[in-house]
Amino acid sequence: MINVPAIAVLGLHKSFGGNQAVQGVNFEVKQGEIFSLLGPNGAGKTTTISMLSCLLRPDEGDAHVMGHSIRSDPTGVKSVLGVVPQDLALYEDLTARENLSFWGKMYGLRGSKLKLRVDEVLEVIGLRDRANERVNKYSGGMKRRVNIGVALLHKPKVIYMDEPTVGIDPQSRRNILDSVVALKNEGMTVLYTTHYMEEAQELSDHVAIMDHGKLIACGTHEELVKLVGQQTRIDLTLNGDSENVMGAWKNIDGVSRVSSEDGLVSVLVKDSNQILPHLFEAAAQLSIRITSVDIREPNLEALFLHLTGRALRD
Amino acid sequence: MIRIFDIALKDLLQLSRDFKTFMFLLIMPILFTFLFGFAFGGFGGNDDSDSRLPVGYLSQDDHWITTELHDLLAESDVIRLEENPFLTSFDLEELVANGDLAAAIIVPEGYGRAVLKNKTVRLAVIADAGTQSWTTIEAEVLTAASRIDGAARTATIMEQMELEGVPFDYAFEQTLSAWDEPPISINETSSLAIKQTSDEGNALAHTSPGMMLQFAIAGLLTAAQVIVTERTSRTLQRLLTTATRRIHVLLGHFLAIFLLIFTQFTILIIFGQYVLKVDYLRLPGATMLVAFSAALCISALGLLIGILAKTEEQAITFSLIPMFVFAGLGGAWVPLEFTGKTFQAIGHLSPVAWGMDGFENICARGLGFESVLIPSAALAGYAVFFFLLATWRLSASEEK
Ligand SMILES: Nc1ncnc2c1ncn2[C@@H]1O[C@H](COP(=O)(O)OP(=O)(O)OP(=O)(O)O)[C@@H](O)[C@H]1O
Ligand SMILES: [Mg+2]
Repeated sequence: MINVPAIAVLGLHKSFGGNQAVQGVNFEVKQGEIFSLLGPNGAGKTTTISMLSCLLRPDEGDAHVMGHSIRSDPTGVKSVLGVVPQDLALYEDLTARENLSFWGKMYGLRGSKLKLRVDEVLEVIGLRDRANERVNKYSGGMKRRVNIGVALLHKPKVIYMDEPTVGIDPQSRRNILDSVVALKNEGMTVLYTTHYMEEAQELSDHVAIMDHGKLIACGTHEELVKLVGQQTRIDLTLNGDSENVMGAWKNIDGVSRVSSEDGLVSVLVKDSNQILPHLFEAAAQLSIRITSVDIREPNLEALFLHLTGRALRD
Repeated sequence: MIRIFDIALKDLLQLSRDFKTFMFLLIMPILFTFLFGFAFGGFGGNDDSDSRLPVGYLSQDDHWITTELHDLLAESDVIRLEENPFLTSFDLEELVANGDLAAAIIVPEGYGRAVLKNKTVRLAVIADAGTQSWTTIEAEVLTAASRIDGAARTATIMEQMELEGVPFDYAFEQTLSAWDEPPISINETSSLAIKQTSDEGNALAHTSPGMMLQFAIAGLLTAAQVIVTERTSRTLQRLLTTATRRIHVLLGHFLAIFLLIFTQFTILIIFGQYVLKVDYLRLPGATMLVAFSAALCISALGLLIGILAKTEEQAITFSLIPMFVFAGLGGAWVPLEFTGKTFQAIGHLSPVAWGMDGFENICARGLGFESVLIPSAALAGYAVFFFLLATWRLSASEEK
């Protein structure tokens, strides 16, 4: 038990009619880590999660959750699992406390143990003060927090969170991201899907990038970023003729490429700290003012662009 | 297993948050029972809980024998004496004609003395002969008058026997002659009171179960919505990620609707019994068996609607259609016995017809316990049919 991966996915396939939603996905999530599935709308994230929670039967392939096969042992899978669905799955005409109590019972908790756990979860999701209000009176962010709270009741070993931060206010978002890290610190394994690369970047130990039903890259943040190369991009806007200064910058040691588009000049460099002063110096010599500078460290967004030729959010 | 109860409890909690539930299940049927009751015959002015027939009483004789007769009649279980010393026999006649009284008894002057002398002085009774109530009243008055007469004759004979040792034949003949002429005379009139009490009773014994069944189906408007919401809000999917099985969810919903509708029946039956005077509890076991199987049947229908409907609006439409079709066809509005044989046969395609049969066999037709067995079995059959259909539709819609 100690050494099995929390989740091992082996060649999952799922089609809806002619639409191949998931086409042969393989990945492995270690116990106690946060693993993000990053991908644009329609990439197949929810379909994958649904198969991993035994709601959808895969056409092909299998997966093991804490050693239980989703094909042959769905009961075992469900017993170690908490699922936070992408769409709110709550009874809006009941209060937060009534919702948590009910779901607690569905997870097999009863009596004083249930009551205690409901109070603990209300604390975790920061809704203790408003626990006795009906969910339909809550803001979107508060509803999402209850939605997450439900999955925590039975202290599952593995928890799936499907885009838990979609469409909510920054405060609730912060609360949720913090609670994800808190879960990891308590030893839970989290499979987290998102199309916000900042979230994947901030939270995850490992990230898998998904597009059109396939994993196109998988690894730690650093490993993935290396795939785009170690280059940092510096975007600058200039006051004056850019032709001359671009020529001068190309000759600086450590600059690998200079290009311009719509008045924005992009410079690819190995180390922005070292090169930036030289860029300013060269511009000053030509009496050109730099009006804005934007340093873009290599990131997953760049990787996605690099791999697919498309931006992540289009 | 215990999850079934948890789910049912949760459903009931949700349903209790919706005012519409009470509206459809209790307020509307009571309202409509009164409405239909009025349409069929209206209500008498008396709404006190005494269900005995009101009979006017006027005595023009103050002999002690007359007082004995009065006391006998006053103790009756079926008639209630209405006495007002200011009313004349003419007034009484009018009251009977207007329907304020079911009948009136007038004791003529000299009645007491005549009885003692073994002479026949008849009681005058104003009534509409030939009605069911009249038969009841007649029997009651006859019994009282005969007891008085018989007692008087026996007393006279005993008296004479002591004096001169009367032969048996004489005593026998005297007693028998008391029956030659009935001791009351009927003054016929057309009484509305009698018509009303009987019609009103019949009308309510029909509309009360009719509206109860119809609005039990209306209750599915909200009950089916809970199931639809369960599916559209993804809570069903979430339930299936816990150790809860699909059949638990199904049975939980079923149990919730069943409890809701069975409670509705129980409340309305008690209301019908004590407020509307519809005699459901003549055979409580039989009535409750019909209520039980009707609740099973309607909750299975609710389950099916909840699973077929894609949206809450559809759930409303899908509940209204069977409500009107089943209620109309099943004779909840117009009794099926008013229609032809063919329509009666078609009507029994509707489970409501069986429910009506079951309830009315007890509260209107005065039949025995075995008369509800077939209607209850038919309702249970429909319950199984709807339930299986629901299970089949659910697995068909979820399996991808
Ligand atoms: N139940 C379904 N029936 C038919 N097609 C489906 C179904 N569920 C998903 N799809 C299709 O499968 C593809 C993948 O959808 P999925 O919901 O897994 O994407 P996703 O990565 O979760 O997207 P999003 O970020 O928008 O949630 C889409 O093309 C979608 O239209
Ligand atoms: Mg999704």
